[in-house]
Amino acid sequence: MGLKLGSSGAGAAVKRVTFLMSAGLAAAACDGGAVQPRALANAEPARGRATIEQVGCAACHHIPGVRGPKGRVGPPLEGFAERALIGGRVPNRPDLLALWVRDAPALVPGTGMPPMPLTEAESRDVAAYLYTLNAR
Amino acid sequence: MWPPISTRSTLAEALRGWPAPALDPGGPAAAAIATLSWVLLALTGLILAIVLAAIALALLGRPAWRAWLSGERLVWIGGVALPIVVLTGLLIYGLTTTGRLAAAGPPGEMRVRVTGEMWWWRVAYLDAAGREVIHDANEVHIPAGRPVTFELEAADVIHSFWVPRLAGKLDMIPGRRNVLRLQADAPGVYAGQCAEFCGGPHALMGFLVVAHPPAEFERWRAARLRPPAPPSDPLAARGAAVFAASGCGACHRIAGSAANGLAGPDLTFVGARRSLGAGILPNNQGTLAGWVADSQAIKPGNRMPPFRTFSGEELRALAAYLEGLR
Amino acid sequence: MTSETGFDPKLLDRFPTRERRPPGELEELERVWRAPGGWRRLTVVNNNYVGLYYVGSAFLFFLLAGVLALLMRVQLAAPLNGLLPQEVYNQVFTMHGTVMMFLFAVPAMEALGVLLLPQMLAARDLPFPRLSAYAFWAYLIGGLCFFASIFFGLAPNGGWFMYPPLTSKIYSPGINADFWLLGIGFIEISAIAGAIEIIVGVLKTRAPGMTLDKLPVFAWAMLVFAVMIVIGFPAVILGTLLLELERALDWPFFDAARGGDPLLWQHLFWFFGHPEVYIIFLPAAGITSMIIPTVARAPLAAYRLVVLAILATGFISFGVWVHHMFTTGLPVISVGFFSAASMAVSVPAGVQVFAWIATMASGRVRWSTAALFAVGGIITLTMGGLTGVMLALVPFDWQAHDTYFVVAHLHYVLIGGMVLPLFAGFYYWTPMMSRRALSERLGRWVFGLFFTGMHVTFLPMHLTGLMGMPRRVYTYLPGRNWEWPNLVSTLGAVLIAAGVLIFLIDLARNFRFAAEDNAGDVFGGGTLEWLPTGLYSTRSIPRVTSRYPLWDDPDLAQDVEAGRYLLPGAATGVRETIVTSPLRAEPQYLQRMPGPSVWHVLAAVFTAAAFLLLTVQLYWVGLASGVLAVAFVLRWVWETDWPMNAETAELGAGVRVPTYATGPASHGWWAMVVLLTVVGMIFLMAAFSYVFLWSRRPDLWIAPPPAAQLLAIVAGQAVAAGFALAAARLVRRGGAGRVLAAGAMIVSALAGAAAWALDIGGWRAAGLIPVASGQGATVYALLSLQGLLTLVILIMAGYVAVRVARGLVSTDRTSTVDLVSLFAVYTAAQGGLAALLARLFPGGG
Repeated sequence: MGLKLGSSGAGAAVKRVTFLMSAGLAAAACDGGAVQPRALANAEPARGRATIEQVGCAACHHIPGVRGPKGRVGPPLEGFAERALIGGRVPNRPDLLALWVRDAPALVPGTGMPPMPLTEAESRDVAAYLYTLNAR
Repeated sequence: MWPPISTRSTLAEALRGWPAPALDPGGPAAAAIATLSWVLLALTGLILAIVLAAIALALLGRPAWRAWLSGERLVWIGGVALPIVVLTGLLIYGLTTTGRLAAAGPPGEMRVRVTGEMWWWRVAYLDAAGREVIHDANEVHIPAGRPVTFELEAADVIHSFWVPRLAGKLDMIPGRRNVLRLQADAPGVYAGQCAEFCGGPHALMGFLVVAHPPAEFERWRAARLRPPAPPSDPLAARGAAVFAASGCGACHRIAGSAANGLAGPDLTFVGARRSLGAGILPNNQGTLAGWVADSQAIKPGNRMPPFRTFSGEELRALAAYLEGLR
Repeated sequence: MTSETGFDPKLLDRFPTRERRPPGELEELERVWRAPGGWRRLTVVNNNYVGLYYVGSAFLFFLLAGVLALLMRVQLAAPLNGLLPQEVYNQVFTMHGTVMMFLFAVPAMEALGVLLLPQMLAARDLPFPRLSAYAFWAYLIGGLCFFASIFFGLAPNGGWFMYPPLTSKIYSPGINADFWLLGIGFIEISAIAGAIEIIVGVLKTRAPGMTLDKLPVFAWAMLVFAVMIVIGFPAVILGTLLLELERALDWPFFDAARGGDPLLWQHLFWFFGHPEVYIIFLPAAGITSMIIPTVARAPLAAYRLVVLAILATGFISFGVWVHHMFTTGLPVISVGFFSAASMAVSVPAGVQVFAWIATMASGRVRWSTAALFAVGGIITLTMGGLTGVMLALVPFDWQAHDTYFVVAHLHYVLIGGMVLPLFAGFYYWTPMMSRRALSERLGRWVFGLFFTGMHVTFLPMHLTGLMGMPRRVYTYLPGRNWEWPNLVSTLGAVLIAAGVLIFLIDLARNFRFAAEDNAGDVFGGGTLEWLPTGLYSTRSIPRVTSRYPLWDDPDLAQDVEAGRYLLPGAATGVRETIVTSPLRAEPQYLQRMPGPSVWHVLAAVFTAAAFLLLTVQLYWVGLASGVLAVAFVLRWVWETDWPMNAETAELGAGVRVPTYATGPASHGWWAMVVLLTVVGMIFLMAAFSYVFLWSRRPDLWIAPPPAAQLLAIVAGQAVAAGFALAAARLVRRGGAGRVLAAGAMIVSALAGAAAWALDIGGWRAAGLIPVASGQGATVYALLSLQGLLTLVILIMAGYVAVRVARGLVSTDRTSTVDLVSLFAVYTAAQGGLAALLARLFPGGG
């Protein structure tokens, strides 16, 4: 069923409503406030935070909510959840982030971030925690 | 690739504060002090209860009680007789324990020299003739079940060497050498901390004592007497080249290489250490890279300047090289 | 009954008198004692005002240091908390300790002494009113400037105990450490001045008949407090001098590489530092001993044992200092001795606690905020004392030293032993100097919050220390389980702050200073401070026959107010008080007392300025300021030893006493002896430093100059001493005696200066320089001390000459010459001894 674009009363009203609804959906999808949580199976942000503290990520990064130094070697991770790229090169996707966190040189050979001693499960936890870091 | 972190973190295990380390002895010296501490706690609790009871009775008790408590007699009993008896007993107990703990070891005992620096610990293992044969930093390895003599010195200001689970503390004073005998009954990792304010990041000056089963300790010692093999991994080899070219050897020593600086910690076996920065960071390639690039963000005021001249790859190469020094 | 001075005690039986007092007598007394108004209020010297300002200032520093503590607690509430960066925290904790110990605790006790002692002894004022005013102004100005350093990031950051080598120039290159060293300087001066005041006041200006056996316990405590300051403070005075010399001129007292020793500082500092805490505690124990009998309505039990306990505590406390150094590796024998002494010192404390309990049992306690604070203090002090016994055992100290266990212990004894009794004192004595008492309703809240908060804050710290947390750490790692006890402690600190806040509100609402129409004897106390008073203290000075005069004689207040006792007016038309003998308080003479004056204020301003300018390295301006300070002191001293308008004066009922005294009976003589004790202790500490450093590095000692020089030096000092003694003799002869005396003083000063020049010249010729070794540093330190005293004598000899020229010295007005002569004899003796020590010990190099 097509919508005839015309200026007749009912048609124009439907057109207008449809336009508004599409705009609203698009807006909801584009956010303006909270990000949709990125899904990581069986990953717990709280465990991730503890892992971050134990492995020493704070030696290079300033990570909000993590008790440790505020490292200045790598970028600060405040608002990381909304960042489009990881390390300026890799799309910020859950699977890629988990891989990056435990073996960054595999994704970007020239990076300064060394491989970290994390299991796969631990790296997913860490990624889950990073995805809770929204910009204020 | 890696076992879970909870099974690997000996640093976290050693830093645990409960049960209270001073009351959870891991060696005979600490055990003697812990027993004394419990006796004292019990005794002082009892005396406090007596005093509180006396106050309560004096304020609220029956006239007969209050009459008994008033006057000089109470003062003589509670203020003179009771303390003299209790204190004399405690003094004898305390002095005999002190004498036992301060006794010097037999001549052939293993000796380790630890020098307090701002804000790390220089460690040297002595041979029978008193020569320093193994050098390290921020971590001391000893055989479990045997006493070890620690010679404590200071390079700059006063520090204090304290491993609460193993013994009381002893100050490191410039111009003096103090001697402490430590024994760990069981293998394990024991955390220590500087206990005399030395300015700046004194709060971040910790260390570890690692006790091995005796046979394992002999193997460890033998391995340490040989310098580590040159790096086989190409990234680590690149790191060795970066290390040599960047002047790191002016402050740090790596046995078997040209680096022989004495200002900073010995790095010959830095990859094997269970912590970095004097007990404040776990030891892995990431933390190594972070420390080298900007240790000031981690431990402000420490004597190592930031090194912001490395590219990402060079930094990783260095970290791989240092991690391989084990 | 034998008499101490020849005064007939039966003369005192004439009081209280019966006749009416002449009209205008009271008005004259009031006129003579009136305080100036307007900006001239700054020149006031009366103890009511000076004491009030002093207590207020001390309390201000308590609040400031308390804010610093709150900051520390917030920082430590969580691991790796970023509130206070490392450098700021190090300054904050150093200032907290330094301000609390030096700017609050000791001055608060001194201030209470200034405020209360004259009233408690029924003297019209302290014997040297301008001296306590000077001490106060120097302390206030200097203390505020010192505290301000934290706003510029210049506050000292080496801990309140400032151990070298951390505080040497190499490791503390900024002027932060100098702020501490020189900043403490004027506080040391204040403390010594106050100590002189209190010793002479307690021993020489009591109400007639108040024998030592009837002296209020607070006065006993203040006496011991002052004597301990005289013996103990010189160690820190010398220590700060030596460290400043090392920092400024590189004289190696504490530099191990050149024969110095960091432990020398620790010995000097703790020889002062341990008595310091008893200096703080004993007067507060005295407060408790005054309050408990009043609220229990019963005399203090075992008075003599309590007095003995105070004396014993003071004495023993000088023999325990090494317990702060148990972990420095000293031999077991010395460590054992100090362990025993440290345990022994708890016995007299226990005597006092049980005396208080016995007193409460023998009476019936009427509860009030003062009583709550007093009893709360006893409980807290007992807990602190018990952990102190634990720490006295060396093995336990080896675990607990420099951890939060010690932080817990020290706060228990200082808060329980000093702060809580101080608050009790506030509530107890406010009615004596304010139109309204403080609110009992709010007071219970203050007590509840403060007491609870105190235990919530510090009880967990015993555990925190045993869990491994050292002191003086700006943060700690997570995962050590230290976060929970630290958080609890921080919550407790908030409770304490709330309690103090309510106290401040209460103070603002109710405290209205009034010397005359105060709220009166609200608690029913029995000691003399509760008599009706004015700025002149009591209208007439009572004859005392018991320890609780107001309880034993219900008419006393009325009789005193009506002028029926001694000195009911201004006998010579100026401010006066009765000087009495030290043991039996028999009237000896009438002392003229100064009124408001500007000279001591200016002296204080320029004293403080001199120290502060030197700290910021404005050396010439600082020196000029110091010269001005000395000039103003001389101008102030010029007004002492002034002719009175009558040779004797009547105290009432025909009892007459002289208006002037010379020799060991005079208050000036006593003050000079106390001052010389201070100087002597400084010298003793310097001599100890010399011997100590020699014992560490005898290999660095060079041979002394030839013995002939030593003979010449000793002979020169003997000449100096001889002429000084001669001056005191000559002045008592008629005719040209005075001029000869002035001449003799000048010769004495010159002989001493010549001997000193020979001494220092000889060492220079022998090749010794101060920066070379421990020997160089200590020998030149001894020479510097001697040089300072020599300079003082040169100035004072000139002063004597000017006094003689102006006709202010006569055969019966000899005090100025006597006192200067005494100082000169001491100076000569010290010069001789110093030369003998440095040149005969250890002998050939």
